[in-house]
Amino acid sequence: MTTSSPSATTEATIRLRAVDKTFQMGQIAVEALRDVSLDVYRGELLAMVGPSGSGKSTILNIVGGLDTVTAGEVWFHERSLAQFSSAELTRYRRDTVGFVFQFYNLVPNLTARENVMVSTEISCNPMPVEEALRLVGLEDRMDHFPAQLSGGEQQRVAIARALAKNPELLLCDEVTGALDFATGKRVLRWLVDLKNELGTTVIIITHNAALARAADRIIRLRSGQVVETKVNDEPMPPEEIVW
Amino acid sequence: MRVLDRKLLRQLRSSWGLILAITSIIAVGVTCFGTMASCYWNLTEAMSRYYAQCRMADFSIELKKVPLAELRQVAELPGVSEIRPRIQFLATVDLDGVAKPLNGQVLSLPDRREPVINDIVLKRGSYFTDRRENEVIVNEAFALRHKLHPGQWIHLLLNNRRQELFIVGTAISSEFVYLLGPGAIVPDAEHFGIFYLKQSYAEDVFDFDGAANQVLGLLAPEVRETPKLVLDRAERLLAPYGVFTTTPRCDQPSNKFLTMEIKGLRSFAVIMPTIFLGVAAVVLNVLLSRLAEQQRTVVGTLKALGYTDGQIFGHFLKFGLVVGLLGGLVGCIGGYWTAGGMTALYRQFYEFPELTNRLYPSVILGGFAISLLCAVLGSLRGARAVLRLKPAEAMRPKPPRIGRKTVLERIGWFWNRLTSDWRMVLRSTMRNRMRTATGIFAGAMGACLLSSTFMMVLGLSYLIDFQFHTIIRSDVDLTLGDERGEEALLEAARLPGVDRAEPQLNVAGTFSNGPHRKKGAITGLARGATLTVPRNLEGRPTGIPPDGLAMTRQLAETLHLRRGDWVTFQPTKGLRQPFRAPVLEISDSYLGMAVYTDIHFLSRLVHEELAINRIQLSTDEDPKHLAALYRDLKQLPVLQGVDCRTDMIRNLETTLVQNTYASLLPMIVFAGILFFGAILNSSLISLAERQREMATLRVLGYGPWKLGSLLLRESMITTLLGAILGMPLGYGLTVLVAVMYASDLFRFPVVSNSMVWIATALLAVLYGLTAHLFVQRAVHKMDWLEALQAKE
Repeated sequence: MTTSSPSATTEATIRLRAVDKTFQMGQIAVEALRDVSLDVYRGELLAMVGPSGSGKSTILNIVGGLDTVTAGEVWFHERSLAQFSSAELTRYRRDTVGFVFQFYNLVPNLTARENVMVSTEISCNPMPVEEALRLVGLEDRMDHFPAQLSGGEQQRVAIARALAKNPELLLCDEVTGALDFATGKRVLRWLVDLKNELGTTVIIITHNAALARAADRIIRLRSGQVVETKVNDEPMPPEEIVW
Repeated sequence: MRVLDRKLLRQLRSSWGLILAITSIIAVGVTCFGTMASCYWNLTEAMSRYYAQCRMADFSIELKKVPLAELRQVAELPGVSEIRPRIQFLATVDLDGVAKPLNGQVLSLPDRREPVINDIVLKRGSYFTDRRENEVIVNEAFALRHKLHPGQWIHLLLNNRRQELFIVGTAISSEFVYLLGPGAIVPDAEHFGIFYLKQSYAEDVFDFDGAANQVLGLLAPEVRETPKLVLDRAERLLAPYGVFTTTPRCDQPSNKFLTMEIKGLRSFAVIMPTIFLGVAAVVLNVLLSRLAEQQRTVVGTLKALGYTDGQIFGHFLKFGLVVGLLGGLVGCIGGYWTAGGMTALYRQFYEFPELTNRLYPSVILGGFAISLLCAVLGSLRGARAVLRLKPAEAMRPKPPRIGRKTVLERIGWFWNRLTSDWRMVLRSTMRNRMRTATGIFAGAMGACLLSSTFMMVLGLSYLIDFQFHTIIRSDVDLTLGDERGEEALLEAARLPGVDRAEPQLNVAGTFSNGPHRKKGAITGLARGATLTVPRNLEGRPTGIPPDGLAMTRQLAETLHLRRGDWVTFQPTKGLRQPFRAPVLEISDSYLGMAVYTDIHFLSRLVHEELAINRIQLSTDEDPKHLAALYRDLKQLPVLQGVDCRTDMIRNLETTLVQNTYASLLPMIVFAGILFFGAILNSSLISLAERQREMATLRVLGYGPWKLGSLLLRESMITTLLGAILGMPLGYGLTVLVAVMYASDLFRFPVVSNSMVWIATALLAVLYGLTAHLFVQRAVHKMDWLEALQAKE
């Protein structure tokens, strides 16, 4: 098992070491991650695959500063995320991370343009809102509300919202999970282009192993543990992927 | 505009119904505050201006007769800055075109205009002239009521002689802002007037040359708040001249009623808004908690995007602040407008040169401050709960509620008998503790206001019935200028239309029991008297002790006396020697603090033969006889006053009772807003939260009416529970009001009957049903198919 990626640098942007995460769901404790260690390299497209409940989303949330670990260490460059104060985590999320959610998480009573503005108004180096929406092909739908957009269009707004921040890290949680086949492939193409053109580090998590073929590196998870890490020497173009 | 603010505006628009409900409650609270506070300042400022303008006396001393030369020692007392001697007498008034003799008080004024203590403000005509001695200035209210104007002649019975007087002007005075005749508790401009005579004329007609029977005075600022010492010394100095009463300004009847009203406004400016804003804060808390919960995912997303807790908290807080601002704005406008109406109402009772409604910046600021405070307090809890979550946790669905059995479920025999509908209703009620508690609290406050208002209306009617149908049963009461013997009683009994005449002897003086002292009077009644019957609270006659006193409970408590104790009484007439008498009965009364005894016993105590200075008459209803009676009474020179019970009752009914009824409708509306707002808020939130559950029931075959009935039952449970809890609170509020307004002259009865509680409960149910109409409409309009598919 190699740990380097052909398109990425050898510099690890994110490092997880012996990470545990336990959730309290009402009266029940759920152990979501157990002794997870992995690296994420700058400029790579990393896919984390595994069945439901394998811990993929949990890792993404921890990397994105949305959640904290129960035990272990998480490093962003040379800084430990576990030592971040609440204000520092907020700044990390604001300035470094772009998050794309499975169910888009758009604000229902804001238009597409305004949903992107939610992100750009607090960013220190945002992209113009119109440019972000143009990048995802929604220049004609900027003033529509989410209820007036298809699932794919809503996902594109969510991507534009994440992109508009010019993030160093783009985290995508089951980004094609709620989309039809064709739209899913289009979204995957944008993510690959983004990585190639802007050098953004992209992490996608999916239970669909076929999608992982577009990634530079694949980490497989099961029951809260890393079972395999594989370098994809020849990432497949999204257009050729079938699922 | 920042995008989160746009989101806020759209959120407000989509929740307009709920916003309206809560804003209404806040608006009513702020309206109450604005009304009471504005009226407080309107009256306070008008009073201050008026008192300064008229040089309102700090004290008055009423005495038998004092040579003016002897008053110098009073003027020189430390603490006394100025005095003014005055002649004052009661009189009967004979007006052309008015069958009954009317009552009046005659006061002397300097022949020439000069600033005096208790000065007048001329309204029409002029001050006295040199053209004639027998000029009179009439108080404006009496003049208006009887269409008197300068240039007319009137007749007064002065010092047993019928005198003709020429009206030169009409006036008002700060000492009669609330003009009360002897023994009255509400102004009666139709039957009682003030008549100002020239000093020289008054001296002549009353044989008071170089003398006075009243001393008005101003005190130095340092003793104004604590005048007792100075007044005691003045009373001792004037004791040889027969001091009847010494009255500091705080006890002056007009001032007392006015300051009591002002104090009451200040209290109600706190009590009423607290009730409404308390409910609004709690209801807003429920709404905002629901909103924050509903937007849990949005909150998580905003946090994921990098918004700080402070920014998100501020966003939710703005929701509450907008509601607070809207409510404050409507409330401040409403408060100003209502204060105008209430001030106009006050002008009917309180006579000022100028009483207008003004806009007070402090009241406006206060109104906004309390509405915003309410909004902030209501928003805090709701916004805080979701903010505490980490972003990932916020975006996860809320963990299922802990599914323990509720208390009712543990009562097997009861629970097993319930249908599934009732089980859903009761579980929902008991598991949503905050929402249920809010509904109960709002219902309790609404029921408190309703039941208290009903009790006040009932109390006033009861007071009139108790005082004027069970205690006082005479038709006409005659007050004589001097004590007379039995012949006066016989003469009165022979008057046309008189069925029965009973004598009374009123002796004023001071009661004392150790360190406890109180000025008052003893009324001697004939054995077997039927026209004044002292009673206890149950309405049973207490009897007139032949050799002791029947004392009103209020006075007994003031003097720390119980039945069987002895009290010392220092009369102000006769030999003025103190005597001791046992308190053999305790009676009850809502007006005054009367003390009764046998008339012969009292006469002996004041070293007199049988003395009569008041006669009560029972008359027949034949109008011809009554007309003849009044005609004869007008001619009787010995009369100082004539009071008709029916006039007193009518006056009370047209003033106090009608105004209380007028306040009933606004209270019913305000209480309705409380009930309505809380029920609507709770039910719509419940419906929104349980859309999927409701949709599932639709699939199973529940119709919209059946679905609505689930929500109706939940709201009725909280409404009725609230109403039940609110009723004792209403009782307590009525007691509080009664205590606040209790005085020597007047006490408010706290009475209730089953109709109060039934009416409160019925209105609560009516409000609940009315609110439910809107909820039912929402159930009918619900797109249950979409609800089944939608992810919140």
